[in-house]
Amino acid sequence: MGLSGRFRSALVIGGQGIRARKLRTFLSMVSLFLGVLAIVTVQAGSVLANRALLADIELRMAKDGTTRVNLSSSGKTVPIAVDTLAGRSDVVGTLTATAIIGEPGVRPINPGPSPLKYANQDMYGNSSRMVCDSSGTCRVMEQDAAGILPRGQAVELQLVLLTGDIRPYRPFPVEAGRWLDFGGPPSLSPSLVLNREAATALTQYRLPAEMQIISEAKNPTPRIIGTVHDANEVPTAYVRADEAMAWMSSASLGNLSLELYLNGDGEPLLQTLLARMSAVSTDPVEPYRSVVNSREHIGGQLDLMRWIFLGMAALVLLIGVAGILNVGLATVGERVEEFALRRAVGTPRLLLAGIVLAETLITGLLTAAAAIGVGVAGLQVAGTLFGDRREMLHDVAFPWEAGVAGVVAGLVAGILGGLFPAIRAARIPIATVMRA
Amino acid sequence: MSDVPLIHLDGLTKTLTGQGEPRPILSGVNLTVHPGDSVAILGRSGSGKSTLLSLIGLFDRPDSGRYLLHGNDIARVPERRAARLRSQEFGFVFQRFFLLKHLTALQNVSMALVNGQGWLPRRKRRAKVMAALEQVGIAHLARHKPARLSGGEQQRVAIARALVREPKILLADEPTGALDTETGALVIDVLHAATHRGCGLVLVTHDHAHANRMQRVLRLTDGMLVPEHQGVFR
Ligand SMILES: Nc1ncnc2c1ncn2[C@@H]1O[C@H](COP(=O)(O)OP(=O)(O)OP(=O)(O)O)[C@@H](O)[C@H]1O
Ligand SMILES: [Mg+2]
Repeated sequence: MGLSGRFRSALVIGGQGIRARKLRTFLSMVSLFLGVLAIVTVQAGSVLANRALLADIELRMAKDGTTRVNLSSSGKTVPIAVDTLAGRSDVVGTLTATAIIGEPGVRPINPGPSPLKYANQDMYGNSSRMVCDSSGTCRVMEQDAAGILPRGQAVELQLVLLTGDIRPYRPFPVEAGRWLDFGGPPSLSPSLVLNREAATALTQYRLPAEMQIISEAKNPTPRIIGTVHDANEVPTAYVRADEAMAWMSSASLGNLSLELYLNGDGEPLLQTLLARMSAVSTDPVEPYRSVVNSREHIGGQLDLMRWIFLGMAALVLLIGVAGILNVGLATVGERVEEFALRRAVGTPRLLLAGIVLAETLITGLLTAAAAIGVGVAGLQVAGTLFGDRREMLHDVAFPWEAGVAGVVAGLVAGILGGLFPAIRAARIPIATVMRA
Repeated sequence: MSDVPLIHLDGLTKTLTGQGEPRPILSGVNLTVHPGDSVAILGRSGSGKSTLLSLIGLFDRPDSGRYLLHGNDIARVPERRAARLRSQEFGFVFQRFFLLKHLTALQNVSMALVNGQGWLPRRKRRAKVMAALEQVGIAHLARHKPARLSGGEQQRVAIARALVREPKILLADEPTGALDTETGALVIDVLHAATHRGCGLVLVTHDHAHANRMQRVLRLTDGMLVPEHQGVFR
């Protein structure tokens, strides 16, 4: 009875107060709106940017928690690795070779392979024979006796040989066709899945689908079965390791670096693999392990930016708070007699202070609701307008973190703007006001 | 009249400090009010009548002296309890009516019931409010806002607000000050009627005619209450 009586009384009194001052409540909301909207926007933007960056890194590196193992390899150990890991997904191995697709006997437009935006530019001048790929690895271009080959309709690719399905670790979305099938026996003509860059190159330069694996004698005729997004700017093709290896000599296989992806479940298989490789290897097999932890890494980078922007948004919010505070103090000034009277008839001063505070809190929350609404609508509009061009805005849901930030901003503004007037209301001396 | 008085003031003092030096306003007020008693307090302007009522009504606390309410000393009662006592024991009527202009007469009376001290459902609240408005003779004006009421009607709404919680003591500070003689007399009638139900009444007024309708007439001079006839007839 006691508490609910208080609470109900507060509702009635507060309701009467707001109804008597609708315009004023609305104007307070207007003054607060921009600040809360700024907070919501900054928070939404940073969460979305974070998510986009993380998704990008997941494709490029691997999901957080994945263990990546780099191994020294040789012509003997590579077949053992491929054999051991065949069809397994608890440990997946990759070998990266280079291949050229297009007219035979010409110089590819992107030696390296380098991203296509550097196509037809030699990085170190025309005469240079050194080419570099996007990861910074440089090598000397092969040159025949006649000097540099003529440029022609050919694109150089990274050819990534996979022992099993890598998508549990690097979740490439399929954009056309289908992904590699690791079940069943290897096919004689290797199936390729291209990344966006490679697919673009093939359509843009209308290349014949003839493939030459660098430093191999025989040229397979691949079948291109699909396109995926792997966030890599270098033209890349993915292929089943067993299908590609049929076309490669053991000497050139030994030159490829072997990289493994696994999580906790893969540990026993990894140990088996290492044991088998050590058994045939003259040099010790030295695994180099690293665990992907990008969330923490990029979190640190983005946090600074986020705090800077939030700080600016908070300033805008502060201006809004000053607005509410101004209105709140004026209102209490106007209501001195009402408050004195209410106290005279027995309303506790704490209840009155609470009502004043609650009125601005409600104003703050209503503003937050409006700002979040505008944020949600804005994101939808941005999504439909720019969704095709900007990956980050494509089909995204409004992040709940931004909603929370908006509500917190509304509450904080309500408290900051209401506390002073509330204290003032509680301090009104009845005896002075009621003196006749 | 029961043995325990409603109010017993014993040597109450109050010094007020405005701008400048402290001024003793009350310097030993004695007063006893029993249920059903009616007391008029006269005094020059500035003699401290309103100050005395604000002490009795627990708007403020005395500097020294004893204040017994139903025999309990409440001279230094904390604010929380004072608020509850204001709600349960006292009804206030002022020279200015202090009606809230955005509320109807009914809501204005109702606000004394919506004060965080207990809770009545809407219906019971309405019944009590209508009974109080009936008591002061303006039930038919329940839906009017103050702007549409005459001064006398407004003051009667204020009295209904004071009566709606059935207080033990009515404190009225120049309730007729803003009204013409006839309307003033009507308001005094309404207040006086409350004493027939055992309510104590302390009326501050400048009007001897009104004062003489009370059982006792006192005068506040030099910070003390003295019986009025002593001053006049001696
Ligand atoms: N807050 C205050 N601080 C200092 N002095 C005050 C304060 N309030 C009132 N006074 C002084 O106290 C004295 C008594 O005031 P009070 O209002 O009680 O007089 P009153 O008898 O009710 O007068 P009136 O008949 O004009 O209403 C006055 O001289 C007034 O100036
Ligand atoms: Mg006075």
